[in-house]
Amino acid sequence: MNKYFSTRLSITVFAAPALILFTLFCVYPLLPQLWMSFHNHNGFQNLGFVGLNNYWSVMQQSSFWVAHKNTYLIVGMSLLIGLPLSMILALFIDSQTPRLRRFFKTAAMFPAILSVIVISQIWVAFYEPNWGLFNTILRAVGLDNLTRSWLTNSNTVMVSIGLTFLWQYIGLNAILLYTGIKTIPKNYYEAALIDGATPFQVSTRITIPLLQDVIKYVLILSTLGSMAFYAHVRVMTAGGPGDLSRTVIYQMYYTAFDTSQFGKGTAIAVIFVVQCLLISFLIQRFVAREKVEF
Amino acid sequence: MKSNTRLFLTAFLACTMMTAAACSSTNAPSPSPSPSPSTGTTEQTNSGNTKEEKIKLRVMTLTTDENRNNIMDQFIKPNLAEAFPNLEVEFEPGGGGEDMANKIKTYNASGDMPDVFWNDAGFFTSLNQAGNIMDLKPHITESGFLNKYKVPEALEHFDGKIYSIASGADTYFTPVIFYHKDLFEQAGAEVPQTFDELIEVSKKLKDNGIVPVATPGKDGWAPKLFMLQQMVQIEDPEAMSKLVTNETDFNDPAVVAGVERMERLVKEGVFADGIANLDYGPAMEMFTSKRSAMLWMFTWELPNMAKIEGVDFFPFPSAGPAYDQNKVVQFWGSPLNGYAVSAKTAHPDEAVQLAEFLAMQDALYFESVGSAIALETGNTASDLDPLMEKFLTWYNGAEVMIPSMALNSLDARMSSEMSTQGARLLTGEYPAADFIKVMNQEWEANTWFD
Amino acid sequence: MKASYVLRVFWIVMGCTFLFPFYWMISTSLKSRSEAYENQFGLPSTWEWQNYSEVLSKYDFLLYFKNSLIYTGGTIAITLLVGTMLAYCLSRMSWKWNGMMLFYVSLGLIVPIEVVVIPLFQLVKSLHINDTHFALILPYTGFSLAACVLMLYAFLRSLPKELEEAACIDGTNVYQAFFRIILPIVMPALMTQTVLIFMRVWNEFPLAFILGARDQFRPLTVGLHSFFVSVGVSHWGLIGAAMLMTSLPTMMIYMIGNEKIENALTAGAILK
Repeated sequence: MNKYFSTRLSITVFAAPALILFTLFCVYPLLPQLWMSFHNHNGFQNLGFVGLNNYWSVMQQSSFWVAHKNTYLIVGMSLLIGLPLSMILALFIDSQTPRLRRFFKTAAMFPAILSVIVISQIWVAFYEPNWGLFNTILRAVGLDNLTRSWLTNSNTVMVSIGLTFLWQYIGLNAILLYTGIKTIPKNYYEAALIDGATPFQVSTRITIPLLQDVIKYVLILSTLGSMAFYAHVRVMTAGGPGDLSRTVIYQMYYTAFDTSQFGKGTAIAVIFVVQCLLISFLIQRFVAREKVEF
Repeated sequence: MKSNTRLFLTAFLACTMMTAAACSSTNAPSPSPSPSPSTGTTEQTNSGNTKEEKIKLRVMTLTTDENRNNIMDQFIKPNLAEAFPNLEVEFEPGGGGEDMANKIKTYNASGDMPDVFWNDAGFFTSLNQAGNIMDLKPHITESGFLNKYKVPEALEHFDGKIYSIASGADTYFTPVIFYHKDLFEQAGAEVPQTFDELIEVSKKLKDNGIVPVATPGKDGWAPKLFMLQQMVQIEDPEAMSKLVTNETDFNDPAVVAGVERMERLVKEGVFADGIANLDYGPAMEMFTSKRSAMLWMFTWELPNMAKIEGVDFFPFPSAGPAYDQNKVVQFWGSPLNGYAVSAKTAHPDEAVQLAEFLAMQDALYFESVGSAIALETGNTASDLDPLMEKFLTWYNGAEVMIPSMALNSLDARMSSEMSTQGARLLTGEYPAADFIKVMNQEWEANTWFD
Repeated sequence: MKASYVLRVFWIVMGCTFLFPFYWMISTSLKSRSEAYENQFGLPSTWEWQNYSEVLSKYDFLLYFKNSLIYTGGTIAITLLVGTMLAYCLSRMSWKWNGMMLFYVSLGLIVPIEVVVIPLFQLVKSLHINDTHFALILPYTGFSLAACVLMLYAFLRSLPKELEEAACIDGTNVYQAFFRIILPIVMPALMTQTVLIFMRVWNEFPLAFILGARDQFRPLTVGLHSFFVSVGVSHWGLIGAAMLMTSLPTMMIYMIGNEKIENALTAGAILK
């Protein structure tokens, strides 16, 4: 039947629209970017070919490295803190009575469906040093010395923004993981419990290994999502104070638009895309290589 | 909303300045919203041979504050149809500041400029290099619009061309220190005459549980637009003048001292907590709700401040004998803020007329709200607010006027870097020496004077 | 036992914090300008309903909402249709480029849309779609296709071949087979994609800010942002009211359909 269906015409009809749209709007725009990154370009005219100079000079800016440090801090936070928390929350949801489970499932997704702009704006109010939630609570419990201006302190600014991000998506990831847990056949657990396994052992020995595929999916989602971290920063601090909370994407925008150096901005974009490719390759290669069959 | 300090601010300034501009430029004494320039306009629609078919024009306006919204709703939209029956105008709200700059730069890059748009020193250079902004001088000279300005020369860029129309009155914008008299009394503080006294006053206020100073610090707005310049010129106005004209650099001892003064202000706790992320709106709110005793702000806010009971102002106090705060002012003076016309518009005549119309509507609005118009034409027999009167006396008495560095000596890159570095300085964790070092590197790469 | 009790309390508190923004938006939206500062987190002392009328008069909610619907709906419709077709082709038809194309499309997962704003803008303009809703729909589609194709590819591969073989015998052609047999079967995966694309496009900001800048084409995110910077500025009551109005449609859809959304996400997660 494959032959019967696979005429040249039918393949064209089925494949062409998507491939054209994809190529035109997703892949093609990368080419002018790449070209621009080798030129001294100020946004409206090309001032000449400069080879790798753009790459070289963006790498010499301290902001570039600050932006990378921040981006990978966010990636690290979402993988090392966010994912485990999501996993625990997912296991927790699974262990609840149906009514509580429903409450948690509804609540957990809630921040993720709201716009980043709304969430960030609310958290700006939470972090406000004079009347914001955190400092108010700290003062109320007598920890005045812990109060600070969260979004202007160089030590806390990035972690504070990262926390907002984690908080917004922990629930979503937990739901994704939880839905995976639901598909694991119950008899696996029963067998384990008969063998006298503790709930912790059940989680680490059975649930997590069987969830490999879902975990990998969530891993890719959160890694690439946090690599492109930008909108929260824009709303909450505009990259500030100074350049201390810029991420790579922010630095790219800043360089291209604010300073009118589009050649350098696109060089950052190219460096960034290469990193994304590399990371997704690594995840594909080393995480959950074998598919677990039930 | 805090997203973009700079955008907001810039936009805001722009508006306000435009306001100011408007004020100054309006010697058309008709307070009624009958747009005088429009009449001339419609007659000379010579090119418009087809009366039936409307010419389409795209306009990008500033949309950053209440004033701008009011001008649009109360003046531009109601008067437009009457003034230009032959035009179909599409308004695109540009936002302001960085948002608007990004948008304009994108249009500039793709050759899709609006016919009429709000110009800003921040992105002017790009537009000019791309040949996308029109020299209005011949047009407005011919139409006579130029003569409506008190000081027509003030509209000229240093290349002798005129790129924007709106103001002329932005010369009346200067940073001052607004303060609540009762909060000062409460803390037993006097108006400071010297920089050291300013610090003392702030300490007294702080000891009384009052935040001394609010000013927009997010994205380095205040440091870039006036603070650095003020802190330098209060000791050595000459060095500051030289810096603006590129005759000296950031290694100049007077400049270094100015930056160190900024560092000291932060370290002594003069500013509100979180100043480096404080937006324009919240900073204003902080002062008007009396949660801070002082507001460091430009005088475009003066009409609003005059409405608040017990608010007065004083100039930035002196830090050395070379500076007399009654003799030296920083003035805004950028001829680049205002309505501009795309050089590639299909309908240059109509577009210029429209720009003239828009500038006039701004003027009419600001006149109607009694803002800085008091400063300029003879037709204001109406009572001048005492605060405005005080300001005028002080300002007109100044002998040395130093143009704003932010508007008159920085290219896009330098300007952005100055915002970045200025905001870092406000965190109190960034040494003045580092600031100087980075600024000097950027200063060398500054293309403004090329 | 005690540890699990503590854990339980912790998560219940956490669950409440997830819902806190909702409370915060409602209470703030009813506060006066000064109360929003003095009493950030309590209930309003006087209920300022006029905040809402003020927002409505200055914030063209209906227009922005309509635009957001068009962008999201358009993107979902086109992506699902052409994406499923391509996935079908790659998984069920014998084409020598199948493997290659699958890899090619998966690259789209990695490119962040933020990176290509400028070329996209120029492209949209040269295609003369810059003054239509397609200016955003088509780029969104381009960037949503990768995930859609990959998920449906996985789904389709898991289906037995016999499905179409039966159709084949009946003399049905490939187009009929696709629309009558395949599409209904992949519905769960399509639902998942609908949810994912919706959440992404509805809240997208950076591209919309440039390409959907003209007032009549602004989606809610851009409208809200400019409301914050132009009108709200320091009046948190107004800001809260605008936020709530913007979020309400999504929240309602979510409340009504959250079981379905979860199931949809499940399907997606398993297939990946």
